[in-house]
Amino acid sequence: MSKRREFMRGAAIGALAFTIGGVDVLLTPRAARAQGATLRLLKPDEVETLEALGETLVPGARAAGIAQFIDSQISVPPEEALLEARILNVRPPFADFYRAALGAVERSSLAQGGRRFARLAGNEQRDFVNLMRQNRIEGWQGPAGAFVYFVLRSDAVDVVYGTLDGYAALGIPYMPHIAPLKRW
Amino acid sequence: MAMHEKVDVAIVGAGASGSVFAAVLAKAGKKVVVLETGPDWQLSDLISSDFWGRRIKAAGAPFLLAGKNPFGYGYQSGWGVGGAALHYFANLPRLLPNDFKIRSEHNRALDWPISYQDVAPYYDKVARDIGVSGNAKAEEIWRPAGEPYPMPPMKTFRNGEVWLKGFEALGIRMVPAAVGMNSTDYKGRPACIYDGWCHIGCPTGALSNPLITYLAEARRAGAEVRARSTVTRVLTNRQGTRVRGLEYYDAKKERQVQEASVVVLAAWSAQNPRLLLNSATDRHPRGLANASGLVGKYMMCHYSSGTWALFDEDVQNHLGTTGAQFMSYDRYGKTAHPGVFGSSFIVAGSALKTSDLGGFANARLDLFGAELHAFMKRAARGLTRIGAFGEELPNLDNRIELAADKDEFGMPFGRLHHSFDQDAVGLWNANFEEGLRVAKATGAREAWSARGNMPTIHLMGGTIMGTDAGNSVVNSYGQSHELPNLYLAGPGIFPTAGASNPTNTIFALSLRGAEQLAAKWGAVEL
Repeated sequence: MSKRREFMRGAAIGALAFTIGGVDVLLTPRAARAQGATLRLLKPDEVETLEALGETLVPGARAAGIAQFIDSQISVPPEEALLEARILNVRPPFADFYRAALGAVERSSLAQGGRRFARLAGNEQRDFVNLMRQNRIEGWQGPAGAFVYFVLRSDAVDVVYGTLDGYAALGIPYMPHIAPLKRW
Repeated sequence: MAMHEKVDVAIVGAGASGSVFAAVLAKAGKKVVVLETGPDWQLSDLISSDFWGRRIKAAGAPFLLAGKNPFGYGYQSGWGVGGAALHYFANLPRLLPNDFKIRSEHNRALDWPISYQDVAPYYDKVARDIGVSGNAKAEEIWRPAGEPYPMPPMKTFRNGEVWLKGFEALGIRMVPAAVGMNSTDYKGRPACIYDGWCHIGCPTGALSNPLITYLAEARRAGAEVRARSTVTRVLTNRQGTRVRGLEYYDAKKERQVQEASVVVLAAWSAQNPRLLLNSATDRHPRGLANASGLVGKYMMCHYSSGTWALFDEDVQNHLGTTGAQFMSYDRYGKTAHPGVFGSSFIVAGSALKTSDLGGFANARLDLFGAELHAFMKRAARGLTRIGAFGEELPNLDNRIELAADKDEFGMPFGRLHHSFDQDAVGLWNANFEEGLRVAKATGAREAWSARGNMPTIHLMGGTIMGTDAGNSVVNSYGQSHELPNLYLAGPGIFPTAGASNPTNTIFALSLRGAEQLAAKWGAVEL
């Protein structure tokens, strides 16, 4: 059985494949971030924007590995992707959507005040997101701001609240029939 | 290219309708092959997780979306064996008699060529076949009497019960929801344990998905399910008088031909017209079965007016099923809401999860950051919702057509145009207003409408049934008016949408069509 097939079997039981030091391992996105997993498609600037945006949308999304989750899921064939974008009728390849969305955020932030989104103060980031979700950022170029808000908010909700750990933090019994491994 | 040995029946799609045709015809002794574009899922693949559950939803060639209200199919469609019924909520209400004669009674929309009485015996049979829990007697305040359901109603929970006071205050009668789930052990399948993971696929066997009902019967009777087989064309004989098989691409993306005496298209309301249009020949230049020009026309859907309420008490919203605990047809009359037209079907009580489209993080889409987290903590205890589905009337402008761009198999993408008319918008608003009145009468601490983009739920139409080739694509059995050995199955053959969840009617009409085909095999097959 090939290495890839072994990892697909891992995926079938509820864990994601990441690369640490050149070795493929099954981890949660949180652990992948903590262990410095190699990202496949997202560039460092995109990761920084994505983490800042995710953290603004849902506190804890950065440490929960929102960038690692999205990077891993835009790297696999669309039919294997676990992204909410899939059920929101985003046309594959999903990487195109995320690049366009993150690019729009970055361009708008730079146009407004000359600073990248990740460099804005916390209250400025919140104000930006609040305008973005209402399609009220002037000169916005990219997928509609409200849709970018919805998709990325969903991703942040997934990694923070959608896991076994997330349920536990809210005090909700998870009650799986078939539990995902790795508390993911 | 490989030619496969001719079979009696080739079915496209292993979802709700294809499974029924496969079961009936295989048990009748026919050699049946089911071609399914996606993977061959097993129950053990159904991990209890919202993001892992997305693997069984939309994939493959996307539909291009157009119109004022683009149809958001991704959440509802299926991918692989079991189709959308692998993750359906298993709400199994029926249509009512008033759904079948809208044109005659209101001079609006279309009539069905059959009546409720023609379908009713099949609703009863479906209930016996797959197991339905509910209280049929209680439903008979709205519909003619039928057989009792084989199982008593499901358990109810506070997240559903807290609404009853509000409905009572507005004079809306709620009865136990009819669901395709086991309230007791049934046919060797266990009773439900109310963990609320129905929407990403139930692996326990308590929920009647095709893998354990009709498709399992079909396989036991010898039907072959060929996963990873993407059908691109329906093939006809030289004279264009009969279909002779299917062209498809296998898992290695190699072209194959499966010849068959009868072809059943059960690939989904959007995909069936795409296939027919892509199968045009010199004899059928507008696509197969399309003398009426109606292939791909009259696409319809439901829309939901949801109402959220936050209670001080812990309503234990993690318990129950994704579908409904209670239902009502008290607003099902076509003119039940003054000034607007169409039926509404009301449901209450469903288990909630945190994430995904139906998760409670989306109950307040305006919130993010610390405010969202504070809401999540409160919602985890006291949040619950109701919904009212509304009926969209058939409209020729809502349609599937072929686009210029092509998929990896050279098949043009389908473009789905969809816009709601003023009746639909008016009914949506009326149901929001009534939902809020219900919520306020419950004594909830907070209540609000789940407004956003107008949702599109349950795609129907596109290959509608009717009396002849001038007004429809198929007859009431799903048989093409023009090509007698071609059948269409699924909600695509509905001429109107009603407002109740369609899967029970999909099962019932598929049983009716498949039994007719088996009974008249000699005349159809030739």
